[in-house]
Amino acid sequence: MAATKISPLHALTVAALALPGLWTADCQAEEDEINFQYSRYQESRRNLIKTPNHSTPIEVDSLFGSAKVTLADRVKFAFNYSQDTWSGATPITVAPLVVEANQAVIKNVKGGKTVVVGASPIIASRQITLNKNLKPLAFNKNGKFLGKDLRVVNVLSTASPETRKQGDFKLGYEWDEAALYAGGGISVENDYESRFGNINGRWDLNQKLTTLNLGLSYTNSDTSAIIDHDASTYLTKTAFLNQIENQGAYQVLTGNRQDWGSNFGISQVLNKEAFLEANVAYTRSTGYMENPYKATTVVFVDPEQPGINRLIGDVKALLEQRPDERDQWALTGSYHQYIGLFDAALHFNYRYFQDTWGISAHTFEAEWVQPIATTWTLTPRIRYYSQDAADFYTPYLTSKQAFVSIAKDSSGREILVDAKNPNNGIQYFRDDNYNLIDSNGNLVNESTVSTIPKTVAFDPKKLPANFSSDQRLSAFGAISGGVNLKKQITKGVSVEAGFEYYTHAGALKLGGGGEGSYADFGYYVANAALNVNLASLNAGTKPGDHAGHSAHHHYHQGGAAPAGVMFAHMMNKADDVMVGYRFMHSHTGGKMLNGDAIASDASILANGCVTRKAGCKMVPTYMDMSMHMLDIMYAPTDWLNLMLMPQFMDMQMNLRQLDGTPAPKLGEHIHAGTGHATGGIGDTGMYAMIKLFDLSSLHHLHLTLGLSAPTGDVDITLRRTHKADEGFIHYGMQLGSGTWDFKPSLTYSGQLGDWSWGAQISGTKRLEDKNASGYLLGDIFESTAWGSYRLNHWLSASVRGLYSDQSAISGEFNPTPGLVNGRLRKNVNPNTSSVDYASNYGGRYWDMGFGLNAQINNGDLAGNSFGVEWLQPIATDVNGYQLDRGGAISATWAVAF
Amino acid sequence: MPKLRCYFLLPMLIAMSLVLSGCSPVAPWQRGTLAKPEMAASRSELAATMRSHNYGSREAASGSGSSGGGGCGCY
Repeated sequence: MAATKISPLHALTVAALALPGLWTADCQAEEDEINFQYSRYQESRRNLIKTPNHSTPIEVDSLFGSAKVTLADRVKFAFNYSQDTWSGATPITVAPLVVEANQAVIKNVKGGKTVVVGASPIIASRQITLNKNLKPLAFNKNGKFLGKDLRVVNVLSTASPETRKQGDFKLGYEWDEAALYAGGGISVENDYESRFGNINGRWDLNQKLTTLNLGLSYTNSDTSAIIDHDASTYLTKTAFLNQIENQGAYQVLTGNRQDWGSNFGISQVLNKEAFLEANVAYTRSTGYMENPYKATTVVFVDPEQPGINRLIGDVKALLEQRPDERDQWALTGSYHQYIGLFDAALHFNYRYFQDTWGISAHTFEAEWVQPIATTWTLTPRIRYYSQDAADFYTPYLTSKQAFVSIAKDSSGREILVDAKNPNNGIQYFRDDNYNLIDSNGNLVNESTVSTIPKTVAFDPKKLPANFSSDQRLSAFGAISGGVNLKKQITKGVSVEAGFEYYTHAGALKLGGGGEGSYADFGYYVANAALNVNLASLNAGTKPGDHAGHSAHHHYHQGGAAPAGVMFAHMMNKADDVMVGYRFMHSHTGGKMLNGDAIASDASILANGCVTRKAGCKMVPTYMDMSMHMLDIMYAPTDWLNLMLMPQFMDMQMNLRQLDGTPAPKLGEHIHAGTGHATGGIGDTGMYAMIKLFDLSSLHHLHLTLGLSAPTGDVDITLRRTHKADEGFIHYGMQLGSGTWDFKPSLTYSGQLGDWSWGAQISGTKRLEDKNASGYLLGDIFESTAWGSYRLNHWLSASVRGLYSDQSAISGEFNPTPGLVNGRLRKNVNPNTSSVDYASNYGGRYWDMGFGLNAQINNGDLAGNSFGVEWLQPIATDVNGYQLDRGGAISATWAVAF
Repeated sequence: MPKLRCYFLLPMLIAMSLVLSGCSPVAPWQRGTLAKPEMAASRSELAATMRSHNYGSREAASGSGSSGGGGCGCY
């Protein structure tokens, strides 16, 4: 039966009436939806002027997920999850070019040549020559004077991968003409934890032509940063001594900051085709606002040096110092205009910012939203940003005092102290005849005490109270532009891809006078997103469709399989689409095993690192892995389903030193304590599911043929630490297999009444000999069988058994050349831990799974299904030496259209 | 004490006067165009969140919103 035809404009008008405060960002009445997004941020290489820079710049992989649902008639709930993993080289300080603070890291290549493969920072004490006006002077290698050189350069430091995770929520109640939302969340990374809460209110006035918004937020953040081990020795931390704790071999800088934010906004409909928004925000921040990894270079010059025209300066790096208070105001105006000629919209946004650090900034943004052919939307955008420098920003400082000088008493005599016990309070002097005397003028027998001059450190009061060389606080401008393309795939499902390029330059500052070009850089960001609108899923039900949601029932024909089983279901109606999300978290931890028996530290030390004569030094204490997978499934015919499965992974682990390990030699690197993390895109699966038979809905059998593309990184390396380069992080922390893999499976399922059951065998066969990093993960064979019972009309429980077998890794990481304590080594790949050896991978595993599945049949979320399963290890028989397993949890969500 | 420069207030005054003078009454049934998806003030929210996180990790004048979070961005 044909439905009554409704004009699109009328439908939108109804939508407009149903959505109060349509144009307000913070407190918007939202439709129920689920979103996923992946983005990649890639920075350009910094210009080191004299040193070639081949180090990988900062790159960030980010994953976002969000869900907005209506809990009850007027109660809305939103949840967001995001995680970023970053690594790469970034400025740690800025130094005069003549300091030569970036040292080239070289590598031997065939033909006896050396090439520069990276740069390593030396913020070590160095001396430079300055003229009487304290300007740095340059000399060539032979000491020939070249002249004044005022150039400065970034000093780069490289970071190993690190991950940040954030979860936050918002709960709201909506009245006809008002709404109140309260939310909170937490953001966690190794060295920074931030907790926040907020409350927002919206009030519609004037028949919803005017909307007022009011918001208040509070954030409390703790820094707990391990001071760069390479830099620590050279960093002067005088200002933070009471914030630094020694934890084992590490120095940890702690701090707390608090931010109170408030904002007031108004939005006003101007006419049928335009509206305006204005917002004023005030934020007060107090506490530790420094970046613990940024230092300012200080050239200490004693002005009373002998010599006429040239002075020697000591180059030191001091942890940056920022004020403990900051008040910030921002004023934002947005104008939104519909352009009838193109059926497009123009959005213009201006923001003025000012704070008590002396920074003022302008931001201009424009966006053109162009719908094309009903299902496409193209959005080009451009942005310009310009800021003044903070009052205390400086590339580097020159201080007219010695870094360390010899102490003198009130009459100008040099003070001497006991070399063995310089702090015992006893002072000695030399008299006119160079005899050693004490403070009372009595002669001292020099055979009883050996003396050294007493030294005094620089006076911090002669330095500015605050200083920072962080280029975020410098004067610069930035232009960025990008484009976003959105495509509605089917009712309720759309995909989106975007790209943006950003360029930061001192010369782009409004009115000129920006930072020098040494600080210029750029980045690009690419993102892809999937949006599932749950509201349109329900709203789109065809009139006359008696069951309302019958469209998805066929999906669960055969009963729900446990959440941990993949490829268990087929859609059996042509043109059906299913979108799903799968999460899997596994924990490895506990005792070390050799085969199926517990291994002692002594036996691991002797046998765990097969090719290392000195044996093993380290074993893992735990390793956690999380996988986020998207299932996008389409049925071209009733017997064939095609499936695309992108994955995002993140992993954390830590190591400990084995009992009985010989004491490390001086300067030797011990890895335990800080842990490692990696994360990013994993391998991408492409599958075809083929129905073999379907016997009167009682027995069902299908074959899945899959191919896994090597999109996950297998070349993640550890950063250079402890004056030593390090190679690949171990096999288990790499994000993919690095090879094309064949993944077949055969699935049987059956159902009778409230009972359902199934079985699956599956395998992973590597299609190449080795990956680009030189190794090959083992093949996998798995078999599983399950039974499930329906507890009521929406909930069922499952039990299953699982056996899996994975071969050990073959081959090993390609050698990585690098510098260790200034000497070139052919291979700096880590080799002291059991996880660094290919033979300590794979094994045979037996597990039991316990699961619950929920199928929502009515209400706003009808058509959605959820599953969760706990996988409990029963028996484990590992290859070589490995950590025992702690269990795994799987969770799934899916919706069919 | 913070010094607020005079021109900080100017854009605000302009905005307010626009709001007060520039609007003509728009009846509820005349708001179809305003309700079109391309006119929404917040479009592609995840992408917008991502962009502001990137700007926030590289510029001084960010944050100052009302939600909080975002981490250190210490790279």
